Amino acid sequence: MSHLLSFVQWLNDTRISVFLRESDWPFPIIETVHILGLGFSVGTIMWLDLRLLGLAMREAPVVDVIEQLEPWAIGGFAVMFVSGCLLILSEPLKCYNTIAFRIKVVLLILAALNVFYFHKRVMHNVDRWDQNMPWRAKMVGILSLILWLGVVIAGRWTAYF
Amino acid sequence: MDQRGVEVTFGRILPFWFFVSCETNWPGSWFKNARWFFAIDETFHIMALGMLIGTLVIVDLRLLGLGMRRQSVVQLSRFLGPWTLFGVASMIITGIPLFMSEAIKLSKSTPFFYKMVFLLCAVTLHFTLHRKVTASSASQDSGLAKLAASLSLLCWLGVALAGRAIAFL
Repeated sequence: MSHLLSFVQWLNDTRISVFLRESDWPFPIIETVHILGLGFSVGTIMWLDLRLLGLAMREAPVVDVIEQLEPWAIGGFAVMFVSGCLLILSEPLKCYNTIAFRIKVVLLILAALNVFYFHKRVMHNVDRWDQNMPWRAKMVGILSLILWLGVVIAGRWTAYF
Repeated sequence: MDQRGVEVTFGRILPFWFFVSCETNWPGSWFKNARWFFAIDETFHIMALGMLIGTLVIVDLRLLGLGMRRQSVVQLSRFLGPWTLFGVASMIITGIPLFMSEAIKLSKSTPFFYKMVFLLCAVTLHFTLHRKVTASSASQDSGLAKLAASLSLLCWLGVALAGRAIAFL
Protein backbone atom coordinates (compact mmCIF):
# COMPACT_ATOMS: atom_id res chain seq x y z
CA MET A 1 0.00 0.00 0.00
CA SER A 2 2.84 2.41 0.77
CA HIS A 3 4.20 1.97 -2.78
CA LEU A 4 0.88 3.15 -4.12
CA LEU A 5 0.88 6.06 -1.69
CA SER A 6 4.37 7.18 -2.73
CA PHE A 7 3.32 6.99 -6.38
CA VAL A 8 0.21 9.01 -5.63
CA GLN A 9 2.29 11.53 -3.70
CA TRP A 10 4.74 11.80 -6.60
CA LEU A 11 1.86 12.22 -9.05
CA ASN A 12 0.38 14.92 -6.87
CA ASP A 13 3.60 16.94 -7.05
CA THR A 14 4.05 16.80 -10.83
CA ARG A 15 3.70 20.06 -12.72
CA ILE A 16 0.74 18.86 -14.76
CA SER A 17 -1.11 17.84 -11.61
CA VAL A 18 -0.50 21.19 -9.96
CA PHE A 19 -1.48 23.00 -13.15
CA LEU A 20 -4.79 21.16 -13.46
CA ARG A 21 -5.55 21.74 -9.80
CA GLU A 22 -4.80 25.45 -9.75
CA SER A 23 -5.94 26.45 -13.23
CA ASP A 24 -9.09 28.45 -13.87
CA TRP A 25 -10.69 26.75 -16.84
CA PRO A 26 -9.18 23.30 -17.57
CA PHE A 27 -10.59 21.62 -14.48
CA PRO A 28 -14.19 22.86 -14.90
CA ILE A 29 -14.13 21.95 -18.59
CA ILE A 30 -12.80 18.44 -17.94
CA GLU A 31 -15.31 17.94 -15.15
CA THR A 32 -18.16 19.13 -17.38
CA VAL A 33 -17.09 16.74 -20.17
CA HIS A 34 -17.01 13.93 -17.61
CA ILE A 35 -20.50 14.67 -16.33
CA LEU A 36 -22.03 15.09 -19.80
CA GLY A 37 -20.23 11.96 -21.02
CA LEU A 38 -22.30 10.14 -18.41
CA GLY A 39 -25.28 10.34 -20.75
CA PHE A 40 -23.42 8.83 -23.68
CA SER A 41 -21.88 6.05 -21.65
CA VAL A 42 -24.13 4.97 -18.79
CA GLY A 43 -27.12 6.56 -20.52
CA THR A 44 -26.84 4.28 -23.58
CA ILE A 45 -25.58 1.14 -21.84
CA MET A 46 -28.54 1.15 -19.45
CA TRP A 47 -30.96 0.83 -22.37
CA LEU A 48 -28.92 -2.05 -23.75
CA ASP A 49 -29.07 -3.72 -20.33
CA LEU A 50 -32.81 -3.13 -20.12
CA ARG A 51 -33.18 -4.76 -23.56
CA LEU A 52 -31.29 -7.79 -22.26
CA LEU A 53 -33.78 -7.94 -19.42
CA GLY A 54 -36.63 -7.69 -21.91
CA LEU A 55 -37.83 -4.43 -20.36
CA ALA A 56 -37.08 -1.97 -23.16
CA MET A 57 -37.55 -1.76 -26.95
CA ARG A 58 -38.75 -5.32 -27.18
CA GLU A 59 -39.68 -5.05 -30.87
CA ALA A 60 -36.03 -4.45 -31.71
CA PRO A 61 -33.99 -7.65 -32.13
CA VAL A 62 -31.37 -7.96 -29.40
CA VAL A 63 -28.59 -8.22 -31.95
CA ASP A 64 -29.72 -4.88 -33.43
CA VAL A 65 -29.66 -3.12 -30.08
CA ILE A 66 -26.26 -4.52 -29.16
CA GLU A 67 -24.59 -3.85 -32.52
CA GLN A 68 -25.97 -0.34 -32.94
CA LEU A 69 -25.69 1.00 -29.40
CA GLU A 70 -22.33 -0.47 -28.46
CA PRO A 71 -20.17 1.80 -30.66
CA TRP A 72 -21.73 4.84 -29.01
CA ALA A 73 -21.39 3.37 -25.54
CA ILE A 74 -17.74 2.58 -26.25
CA GLY A 75 -17.14 6.12 -27.48
CA GLY A 76 -18.87 7.48 -24.40
CA PHE A 77 -16.79 5.34 -22.07
CA ALA A 78 -13.59 6.34 -23.88
CA VAL A 79 -14.46 9.98 -23.16
CA MET A 80 -15.23 9.09 -19.54
CA PHE A 81 -11.94 7.24 -19.17
CA VAL A 82 -9.80 10.05 -20.58
CA SER A 83 -11.60 12.81 -18.68
CA GLY A 84 -11.65 10.63 -15.56
CA CYS A 85 -7.89 10.04 -15.70
CA LEU A 86 -7.34 13.77 -16.07
CA LEU A 87 -9.57 14.39 -13.06
CA ILE A 88 -7.56 11.88 -11.01
CA LEU A 89 -4.39 13.52 -12.23
CA SER A 90 -5.58 16.88 -10.96
CA GLU A 91 -6.18 15.61 -7.41
CA PRO A 92 -4.40 12.26 -6.90
CA LEU A 93 -4.05 12.51 -3.14
CA LYS A 94 -7.65 13.53 -2.59
CA CYS A 95 -8.85 10.62 -4.74
CA TYR A 96 -6.57 8.23 -2.86
CA ASN A 97 -7.91 9.40 0.50
CA THR A 98 -11.57 9.41 -0.44
CA ILE A 99 -13.46 6.22 0.43
CA ALA A 100 -16.20 6.88 -2.10
CA PHE A 101 -13.61 7.09 -4.87
CA ARG A 102 -11.97 3.82 -3.87
CA ILE A 103 -15.37 2.15 -4.00
CA LYS A 104 -15.93 3.74 -7.41
CA VAL A 105 -12.67 2.24 -8.76
CA VAL A 106 -13.59 -1.22 -7.45
CA LEU A 107 -17.04 -0.97 -9.05
CA LEU A 108 -15.47 0.21 -12.33
CA ILE A 109 -13.18 -2.82 -12.42
CA LEU A 110 -16.12 -5.14 -11.72
CA ALA A 111 -18.20 -3.44 -14.42
CA ALA A 112 -15.36 -3.85 -16.94
CA LEU A 113 -14.99 -7.54 -16.01
CA ASN A 114 -18.73 -7.92 -16.55
CA VAL A 115 -18.37 -6.52 -20.07
CA PHE A 116 -15.46 -8.85 -20.90
CA TYR A 117 -17.38 -11.82 -19.53
CA PHE A 118 -20.37 -10.87 -21.67
CA HIS A 119 -18.33 -10.71 -24.86
CA LYS A 120 -16.16 -13.77 -24.26
CA ARG A 121 -18.55 -16.20 -22.62
CA VAL A 122 -22.12 -15.08 -23.16
CA MET A 123 -22.41 -13.49 -26.61
CA HIS A 124 -22.98 -16.59 -28.75
CA ASN A 125 -25.90 -17.25 -31.09
CA VAL A 126 -27.35 -13.84 -30.31
CA ASP A 127 -29.92 -14.24 -33.12
CA ARG A 128 -31.67 -16.88 -31.05
CA TRP A 129 -31.94 -14.63 -28.02
CA ASP A 130 -35.16 -13.04 -29.27
CA GLN A 131 -36.98 -16.33 -28.78
CA ASN A 132 -35.15 -17.34 -25.66
CA MET A 133 -32.96 -14.97 -23.63
CA PRO A 134 -30.17 -16.89 -21.88
CA TRP A 135 -30.14 -16.43 -18.12
CA ARG A 136 -26.49 -15.40 -18.29
CA ALA A 137 -27.41 -12.49 -20.57
CA LYS A 138 -30.02 -11.34 -18.09
CA MET A 139 -27.54 -11.70 -15.26
CA VAL A 140 -25.00 -9.57 -17.11
CA GLY A 141 -27.75 -7.00 -17.70
CA ILE A 142 -28.72 -6.76 -14.03
CA LEU A 143 -25.10 -6.65 -12.87
CA SER A 144 -24.30 -3.98 -15.41
CA LEU A 145 -27.19 -1.79 -14.26
CA ILE A 146 -26.30 -2.17 -10.59
CA LEU A 147 -22.56 -1.66 -11.09
CA TRP A 148 -22.85 1.43 -13.30
CA LEU A 149 -25.45 2.91 -10.99
CA GLY A 150 -23.00 2.31 -8.16
CA VAL A 151 -20.25 4.02 -10.13
CA VAL A 152 -22.41 7.10 -10.69
CA ILE A 153 -23.48 7.30 -7.04
CA ALA A 154 -19.94 6.71 -5.73
CA GLY A 155 -18.70 9.31 -8.17
CA ARG A 156 -21.11 11.92 -6.84
CA TRP A 157 -20.30 11.12 -3.23
CA THR A 158 -16.57 11.52 -3.90
CA ALA A 159 -17.22 15.18 -3.30
CA TYR A 160 -18.49 14.42 0.19
CA PHE A 161 -16.39 11.64 1.72
CA MET B 1 -24.90 48.29 -11.94
CA ASP B 2 -22.84 45.45 -13.44
CA GLN B 3 -19.76 46.50 -15.32
CA ARG B 4 -20.75 44.40 -18.30
CA GLY B 5 -24.13 46.06 -18.54
CA VAL B 6 -27.43 44.72 -17.28
CA GLU B 7 -27.18 40.92 -16.90
CA VAL B 8 -30.34 38.88 -17.00
CA THR B 9 -31.17 37.09 -13.78
CA PHE B 10 -34.40 35.97 -12.13
CA GLY B 11 -33.67 38.45 -9.38
CA ARG B 12 -34.44 41.20 -11.84
CA ILE B 13 -37.78 39.66 -12.75
CA LEU B 14 -39.15 38.21 -9.53
CA PRO B 15 -39.40 39.97 -6.18
CA PHE B 16 -36.72 39.33 -3.58
CA TRP B 17 -39.19 38.02 -1.00
CA PHE B 18 -39.92 35.06 -3.30
CA PHE B 19 -36.34 33.83 -3.05
CA VAL B 20 -36.15 34.45 0.69
CA SER B 21 -39.40 32.53 1.07
CA CYS B 22 -37.91 29.58 -0.87
CA GLU B 23 -34.92 29.39 1.43
CA THR B 24 -36.88 29.73 4.64
CA ASN B 25 -39.65 27.26 3.84
CA TRP B 26 -39.73 23.51 3.35
CA PRO B 27 -38.08 21.86 1.48
CA GLY B 28 -35.66 24.68 0.80
CA SER B 29 -34.79 25.24 4.44
CA TRP B 30 -34.51 21.53 5.06
CA PHE B 31 -32.12 20.95 2.18
CA LYS B 32 -30.11 24.00 3.06
CA ASN B 33 -29.41 22.75 6.55
CA ALA B 34 -29.34 18.99 6.06
CA ARG B 35 -26.52 18.23 3.64
CA TRP B 36 -27.47 14.55 3.58
CA PHE B 37 -30.83 15.26 1.94
CA PHE B 38 -29.17 17.64 -0.46
CA ALA B 39 -26.60 14.98 -1.42
CA ILE B 40 -29.19 12.24 -1.86
CA ASP B 41 -31.45 14.50 -3.89
CA GLU B 42 -28.51 15.57 -6.03
CA THR B 43 -27.67 11.90 -6.63
CA PHE B 44 -31.16 11.23 -7.98
CA HIS B 45 -30.83 14.40 -10.05
CA ILE B 46 -27.69 12.99 -11.68
CA MET B 47 -29.19 9.52 -12.18
CA ALA B 48 -32.17 11.10 -13.93
CA LEU B 49 -29.72 13.13 -16.02
CA GLY B 50 -27.90 10.01 -17.22
CA MET B 51 -31.14 8.29 -18.16
CA LEU B 52 -32.56 11.41 -19.85
CA ILE B 53 -29.48 11.94 -22.01
CA GLY B 54 -29.57 8.24 -22.91
CA THR B 55 -33.09 8.51 -24.32
CA LEU B 56 -32.24 11.70 -26.18
CA VAL B 57 -29.05 10.24 -27.62
CA ILE B 58 -30.84 7.21 -29.02
CA VAL B 59 -33.82 9.03 -30.55
CA ASP B 60 -32.02 12.15 -31.78
CA LEU B 61 -29.12 10.17 -33.21
CA ARG B 62 -31.68 8.04 -35.06
CA LEU B 63 -33.32 11.19 -36.45
CA LEU B 64 -29.88 12.23 -37.68
CA GLY B 65 -29.53 8.85 -39.36
CA LEU B 66 -27.06 7.50 -36.83
CA GLY B 67 -27.11 4.78 -34.20
CA MET B 68 -30.13 2.49 -34.26
CA ARG B 69 -30.75 2.77 -37.97
CA ARG B 70 -32.35 -0.62 -38.36
CA GLN B 71 -35.25 0.48 -36.22
CA SER B 72 -37.80 3.11 -37.23
CA VAL B 73 -37.99 6.43 -35.46
CA VAL B 74 -41.62 5.79 -34.63
CA GLN B 75 -40.73 2.54 -32.90
CA LEU B 76 -37.92 4.05 -30.87
CA SER B 77 -39.68 7.24 -29.86
CA ARG B 78 -42.87 5.43 -28.98
CA PHE B 79 -40.95 3.56 -26.34
CA LEU B 80 -38.35 6.13 -25.29
CA GLY B 81 -40.48 9.29 -25.55
CA PRO B 82 -42.30 8.66 -22.27
CA TRP B 83 -38.98 7.95 -20.59
CA THR B 84 -37.65 11.28 -21.80
CA LEU B 85 -40.58 12.96 -20.12
CA PHE B 86 -40.14 10.86 -17.00
CA GLY B 87 -36.50 11.93 -16.94
CA VAL B 88 -37.41 15.60 -17.29
CA ALA B 89 -40.10 15.32 -14.61
CA SER B 90 -37.63 13.58 -12.28
CA MET B 91 -35.07 16.29 -12.82
CA ILE B 92 -37.61 19.02 -12.16
CA ILE B 93 -38.90 17.29 -9.02
CA THR B 94 -35.39 16.72 -7.67
CA GLY B 95 -34.34 20.13 -8.96
CA ILE B 96 -36.96 22.14 -7.04
CA PRO B 97 -35.52 21.45 -3.56
CA LEU B 98 -32.03 22.11 -4.95
CA PHE B 99 -33.23 25.46 -6.27
CA MET B 100 -35.09 26.41 -3.12
CA SER B 101 -32.15 25.69 -0.84
CA GLU B 102 -30.00 28.17 -2.78
CA ALA B 103 -32.70 30.46 -4.12
CA ILE B 104 -31.07 33.75 -3.19
CA LYS B 105 -27.76 32.79 -4.79
CA LEU B 106 -29.58 31.60 -7.92
CA SER B 107 -31.59 34.81 -8.14
CA LYS B 108 -28.31 36.52 -8.97
CA SER B 109 -27.08 33.84 -11.36
CA THR B 110 -27.13 34.56 -15.08
CA PRO B 111 -26.24 30.97 -16.07
CA PHE B 112 -29.23 29.72 -14.06
CA PHE B 113 -31.52 32.05 -15.99
CA TYR B 114 -30.25 30.73 -19.29
CA LYS B 115 -30.53 27.16 -18.05
CA MET B 116 -34.25 27.73 -17.51
CA VAL B 117 -34.58 29.39 -20.92
CA PHE B 118 -32.89 26.41 -22.61
CA LEU B 119 -35.07 24.02 -20.60
CA LEU B 120 -38.21 25.79 -21.72
CA CYS B 121 -37.03 25.67 -25.34
CA ALA B 122 -36.11 21.98 -25.07
CA VAL B 123 -39.46 20.95 -23.59
CA THR B 124 -41.45 23.11 -26.03
CA LEU B 125 -39.49 21.64 -28.93
CA HIS B 126 -40.18 18.14 -27.63
CA PHE B 127 -43.93 18.68 -27.68
CA THR B 128 -44.03 20.42 -31.05
CA LEU B 129 -41.55 19.87 -33.88
CA HIS B 130 -39.97 16.82 -32.30
CA ARG B 131 -43.34 15.17 -31.77
CA LYS B 132 -44.23 15.90 -35.39
CA VAL B 133 -41.15 14.24 -36.89
CA THR B 134 -41.36 11.18 -34.66
CA ALA B 135 -45.06 10.63 -35.31
CA SER B 136 -44.76 8.95 -38.68
CA SER B 137 -42.13 7.06 -40.63
CA ALA B 138 -42.73 9.33 -43.60
CA SER B 139 -40.79 12.18 -42.07
CA GLN B 140 -38.11 10.22 -40.26
CA ASP B 141 -35.30 10.78 -42.72
CA SER B 142 -36.26 14.27 -43.81
CA GLY B 143 -34.34 17.47 -43.38
CA LEU B 144 -36.96 18.55 -40.87
CA ALA B 145 -36.17 15.50 -38.75
CA LYS B 146 -32.48 16.36 -38.77
CA LEU B 147 -33.31 19.94 -37.82
CA ALA B 148 -35.52 18.83 -34.96
CA ALA B 149 -32.84 16.47 -33.67
CA SER B 150 -30.07 19.09 -33.93
CA LEU B 151 -32.14 21.74 -32.15
CA SER B 152 -33.11 19.23 -29.49
CA LEU B 153 -29.52 18.23 -28.81
CA LEU B 154 -28.43 21.87 -28.79
CA CYS B 155 -31.13 22.88 -26.32
CA TRP B 156 -30.33 20.05 -23.91
CA LEU B 157 -26.62 20.78 -24.26
CA GLY B 158 -27.46 24.37 -23.37
CA VAL B 159 -29.32 23.22 -20.27
CA ALA B 160 -26.39 21.07 -19.19
CA LEU B 161 -23.65 23.65 -19.87
CA ALA B 162 -25.57 26.52 -18.29
CA GLY B 163 -26.28 24.28 -15.33
CA ARG B 164 -22.59 23.57 -14.88
CA ALA B 165 -21.69 27.21 -15.35
CA ILE B 166 -23.76 28.14 -12.29
CA ALA B 167 -21.04 26.77 -10.07
CA PHE B 168 -18.25 28.60 -11.87
CA LEU B 169 -19.60 32.00 -12.83
